[in-house]
Amino acid sequence: MRLEKCWFCSSTVYPGHGIQFVRNDAKIFRFCRSKCHKNFKMKRNPRKVKWTKAYRRLHGKDMTQDATFEFERKRNRPERYDRNVTENTLKAIKKIDKVRVDREARHHAKRMKGKKAQLHREAAKELEQSIHMVKAPSVLQQEPSLTLPKTKVKVSQPQTEDNRMEE
Amino acid sequence: MVQYNFKKITVVPTGKEFIDIILSRTQRRTPTQVHKGYAISRLRQFYMRKVKFTQQNFHDKLSTIIEDFPRLDDIHPFYGDLLHVLYNKDHYKLALGQINTARNLIGKIAKDYVKLLKYGDSLYRCKSLKVAALGRMCTVIKRVSPSLAYLEQIRQHMARLPSIDPNTRTILICGYPNVGKSSFINKITRADVDVQPYAFTTKSLFVGHTDYEYLRYQVIDTPGILDRPFEDRNIIEMCSITALAHLRAAVLFFLDISGSCGYSIAQQAALFHSIKSLFMNKPLIIVCNKTDLQPLEGISEDDMKLVMEMKAEALKTVIGQGGEPTDDDGVLLKMSTLTEDGVIAVKNAACARLLDQRVESKMKSKRLSECLNRFHVAMPKPRDQKERPPCIPQAVLEAKAKKAEETAEKEKRKLERDIENENGGAGVYSASLKKNYILAHDEWKEDPMPEILDGHNVYDFIDPDILMRLEELEREENVLQGLEADDDFEMDGAELTPEEQAALAEIRKKKSLLIQQHRIKKSTAESRPTVPRKFDKDKRFTSERMGRQLSSLGLDPTMAIDRARSKSRGRKRERSVSRGGYGDDSMEVDGEQANKKLRLRSRSASRSKSRPPGEVVPGEGYKDTAQKTKAIKMAKSSSKKRNKDARRGEADRVIPTLRPKHLFSGKRSIGKTDRR
Repeated sequence: MRLEKCWFCSSTVYPGHGIQFVRNDAKIFRFCRSKCHKNFKMKRNPRKVKWTKAYRRLHGKDMTQDATFEFERKRNRPERYDRNVTENTLKAIKKIDKVRVDREARHHAKRMKGKKAQLHREAAKELEQSIHMVKAPSVLQQEPSLTLPKTKVKVSQPQTEDNRMEE
Repeated sequence: MVQYNFKKITVVPTGKEFIDIILSRTQRRTPTQVHKGYAISRLRQFYMRKVKFTQQNFHDKLSTIIEDFPRLDDIHPFYGDLLHVLYNKDHYKLALGQINTARNLIGKIAKDYVKLLKYGDSLYRCKSLKVAALGRMCTVIKRVSPSLAYLEQIRQHMARLPSIDPNTRTILICGYPNVGKSSFINKITRADVDVQPYAFTTKSLFVGHTDYEYLRYQVIDTPGILDRPFEDRNIIEMCSITALAHLRAAVLFFLDISGSCGYSIAQQAALFHSIKSLFMNKPLIIVCNKTDLQPLEGISEDDMKLVMEMKAEALKTVIGQGGEPTDDDGVLLKMSTLTEDGVIAVKNAACARLLDQRVESKMKSKRLSECLNRFHVAMPKPRDQKERPPCIPQAVLEAKAKKAEETAEKEKRKLERDIENENGGAGVYSASLKKNYILAHDEWKEDPMPEILDGHNVYDFIDPDILMRLEELEREENVLQGLEADDDFEMDGAELTPEEQAALAEIRKKKSLLIQQHRIKKSTAESRPTVPRKFDKDKRFTSERMGRQLSSLGLDPTMAIDRARSKSRGRKRERSVSRGGYGDDSMEVDGEQANKKLRLRSRSASRSKSRPPGEVVPGEGYKDTAQKTKAIKMAKSSSKKRNKDARRGEADRVIPTLRPKHLFSGKRSIGKTDRR
C-alpha cells in the first residue's frame, strides 16, 4: 500500500480515494478527487492553476529546494527488514517533518515580511511627489520640510459681520 | 438428414394474398413521398428503389418456398415414394418448377424496368414505369396462383404425416382389411387407431411405439391390402406397399383364421404369395388372429395346407438369415386381440427376431467398433493347478522400487496443506507467510512494520545512515534559526515622523476625495445639468472658499481675494446669504425661508433616512419591493432629461434668454435666414 501524489494538485491520495487514469503510452495519472480529474480532462495546465502546488512552487510561494526533500525518495530495490533501521527511520520521519514545517513557515514569513520596507519607500516617495497638494510650492521653498504648513487667518468672518450690520 | 420435419415448411399464401403482402410491404418500407420539384435523379432513385424492393421481396419469399419443400430425390426413398404415392411426383415437381420460373421472370422484369427507369425524364414517366413493373410482377404471380394453392394443400397434408424414422427398429403390420391390425397396435402401444367393422377404416399409416428389453421399437400400422394387380392399386394400398418396400422392418403378416373379415384364408394366402417378394431380407412372422372365434387347430385341411405353405415361406426367410435352428414358434403364432391371448408373445417374438437380424447385419458391417460394448471377453478355464505367474524383467522391478521410495519420502514431508487441515481447514486457518523469512534475527519475523506514517510512505525514507543525515540537518537548522533572529532587528530604517505621516494622510485624503468626486461626476453625468458658473448651486466658486483653500495650502489669500472682488461683475443681490454662515442664520427670517426653499428644492437623497431604498412602507400603496424599485427607477429616468436641461421640475418651461444672440444673428453658410 502506498500513498501517491495527485498529478494535478500534488496532494496525497490515500487508499480508497481518487481515480487513476492510464494512458495509451502507459503513463499513469493519479488524481485525488474529481476536481483534479475534471481539470485534467479540461486539459488545464496545473502550473497555471492557482491553487495547485505546482503553481505555488513555480511562482515562489512555497519552498522548492531543500535538504528535507532529499530524505523522501522512491526506492525501487527493496531492502531487507532490519528492526533498528526501521526504528530509526520512524523517529527520523517525525523530526524531518518538524524541520520541514519550520522551514516552510520561515519561507512564508520572509515572503510576507518584505512588504514593510517597500511600503516605507512608497510612502516617502508619495509624500515627496504630492506634497504640493497640501503645501504651496512657495511655502515649501521657505520651509523645506515635508509637513503641513502653519494655517493662516481666515478672511471671510469679518465680512459677514459687516453685511449683517448694514441690513 | 431432413428428418421428417415437414412441419417446418413456411405457409404458402395464395396468389392474391401474396400480391397483397408484397405490395403493402413495399408501401410501408419504402419512402412514400415524392414531389415533382425534386431533382430528376432523386425521382428516378425513388422509383427504382420501389421496383427493386418489390422484386427482392418476391424473390425472397419464392426462394423460401422452393427451398422449404423437400426435394424428392434427396430424402429417404421411403418418404420419396410415400410423397409420390400421395401427391404424384410429377405434379409436385411441376408446381415447384413453375414457382421457380415465376421467380426468374420477376427478376427479369425488374431488371428491364430499372434499366428503363434510368432514363425516365419526368415524375409521371417514372411513376408509370414503376406501375407497369409492379403490375407485371403481380400478373406473373396471378398466373402461378394455382400452383401456389396446390403447394399449400400439399404442405398442410405433409405436416400431418406421421413421423416415421426409417432407420430405427420398426415392426410393420400388414394383411387384408379388417383382420385386426389396428386392434393389435392399440394393444401393444399407446396409439389410438380407429377400429371399426368396415373395411379401410385405417386409411393411412399410423405409428406407435413400444418397448422390448429396454429398446424402443416403432410399430407401423398399415391400411389393408387387397389382392389386386399392382397397377390397379389405389393410393391407400400404395401407402402400405411403399412402407413394405422401403422400411427395413420385421413384418407381421396378419391372418384372420375365422374369416370374419369377409375374406377366406385362401384369398389371404393368395395375397401373401403375391407380395412375398416384398418380404425379402425381413424377419417375417405369420400371425393368426381371432383365435377366440376359431382356434387354429380347427380349420379345414385345405386351409391348413395353405397356412403350412405360408409358414414354409416364412421359414425360408429365417433360414436365409442366419442358420438358427428351425423354430416353429418363432414363425407362426396365434393370438386373439379381443382376449389378449398371445399378443405379448407375438410382440416379443417380432422384437427378438428383428433385433437378432439387426445385430447380425451390424456385425457383418465394418462399423463393428461401435458395437464393441456389446461384446464379452471370455476367460479361459484353468486346465491344471500349475502356477503361471506373469514374467517381469529385473530392470522394471528396480525402477518400481525406486519410485516407491520417492513417494514414501514425499509422504513423509509435511505440506502446508496438511498443516492447514490440521488447524481447522481453509476458512479457519490462514498460513503464516512470514514463516520462511530470512532475517538477521529470527525474532524480527513477526514485527509489524507500518507502511505509512503521517502521510508519508515509510519505505521512501528507509536508509541505513539516516541518523547521520538527520544530525546534519539539525545542525543546519540551528544555524538558520540563529540567522533569523539577527534579521529581525534590522528593519526600522526609514520611518516617517508623525508630522510627515500627518501630511501623508492629508495627501491621501485629498486624493481619495478627488477620486470620489470624479466618480460621482461620471455616474451622474446623464442627469446632471451643465450649468454656467453664475448658477453655482453648491457655492463652489466663492471667494471665501478660495480663501480657505489657499490658506490651507499655507499661502496668504487676502491679495487674491481682493483681486477677485475687484474684477467681479455686479451680482444679483440674492436674498439668501452665503451658506455656511457662521452662527446667526436664525435671526433673519427671510434668509431662513429662502434657505428652506433651497433645502426643499434639492431632492438629492440625504443619508439620514433609515430605511433601505426599496423597502415598502405600508401607507405608500406599493405591492412589493420590485414594484417600488421599478417606480423609483421610472421616476428617476424621467427626470434625467430635465436635470440635464437644468429644469426645476415638470412645469419649468422657462427660457432663460428668449432671444439668444447666437441663434438670432449671423449668416448661414448655406440656406436662407428668413426663419429663425
